[in-house]
Amino acid sequence: MSSLSFDAAPLPVRDDIAEALPQVWARIGQPGTWLTARERVAVAAESRNARYCQLCAERKDALSPYAVQGEHDSLGKLPDDKVELVHKMMTDPGRIAGHWFEALKDGGLPETEYVEIVGVIACTVAIDTFCRGIGMAPPPLPEPQDGAPSHETVGEEHLNRGLAFAPTLDPFVDGPLQKEFFPAGPPTAAHIRRALSSVPDTQRDFWRIANVLYMNGLQMRDFSTEYRAITHAQIELVAGRVSAINQCVY
Amino acid sequence: MALLRASGEYTGDDYDLSAVLGDSGEDTGIPHADVLIRLAETAIKFDDEATDAARDAVIERMGEAALVDAAAIAANFNAIDRVADAIGIPLEDEKAAISADFRAELGIDEFGRASLPAAAE
Repeated sequence: MSSLSFDAAPLPVRDDIAEALPQVWARIGQPGTWLTARERVAVAAESRNARYCQLCAERKDALSPYAVQGEHDSLGKLPDDKVELVHKMMTDPGRIAGHWFEALKDGGLPETEYVEIVGVIACTVAIDTFCRGIGMAPPPLPEPQDGAPSHETVGEEHLNRGLAFAPTLDPFVDGPLQKEFFPAGPPTAAHIRRALSSVPDTQRDFWRIANVLYMNGLQMRDFSTEYRAITHAQIELVAGRVSAINQCVY
Repeated sequence: MALLRASGEYTGDDYDLSAVLGDSGEDTGIPHADVLIRLAETAIKFDDEATDAARDAVIERMGEAALVDAAAIAANFNAIDRVADAIGIPLEDEKAAISADFRAELGIDEFGRASLPAAAE
């Protein structure tokens, strides 16, 4: 049972969105791969809280955000390193740097947990933004469910540590996860499709949402057909404007 | 933006790519760009009052289904941008090559972290 439903939405919502978003929102309230349900819900709550943080506001205005020291205004449910990750990703993602990722890792934040937290934040942001966009209040946080994280590992031999800050699944290594996540083969495995793949359930949850909010890879490049109620050009205009505000080159 | 340009090339339209940097959208060549940009800006900044007005404008001009799809795109990129930056995902070599001209022209390479292949840390 999800605390998100579009049954009473102020306007009709596509069936695939109305099915996927509540499912993924409920998943945040379940044990993850490396985080407990309580931690996952705390990440979602902290991501909503981050925009009220004074330290983040000062860092956002600073020429060099890493030179501004202080304490985050947090909800107190997560340790400092996880609060730092959540707040940075929410308030100044365009200036995240490799040395910052390494510092979190050297300070004891496992890269597996880092990736899962990034996924939970991303799902929360997507759901909250969509709800607000259509005139709905963001949903209440899910109730954390009992249970232990699965600790599913993909195996070091399946990881690529040269693409990004965090490890990603290597599409050029043969394996069942590669077949699931990159079904068309390594040459078509866009970098963004690899981003969360080192934690498979995080990958599945995020793309469950992203595939219905946007389009699949084939639809993206098929300009002969319009798959949405707005055109390809209008879609890419909205996408580009959002990415510009977020200062995202990718 | 590469896909925006590609869609224009397919339809024979010459879109003004600078619209994504905050232009009013009136001269982009893309129908209803002004209201779509306003919705994107207000929705991701969680400015509910301004989003209400932007939403009404999109519905009035384009209909409810268009509003849902525009909100969905804004939501998706508000999330996926953060994933790309937090994981440190670089642009693919071929995408970097085909977008080099307008990235330089529009100043996109000056964004916080230039996630280009050579800049990947």
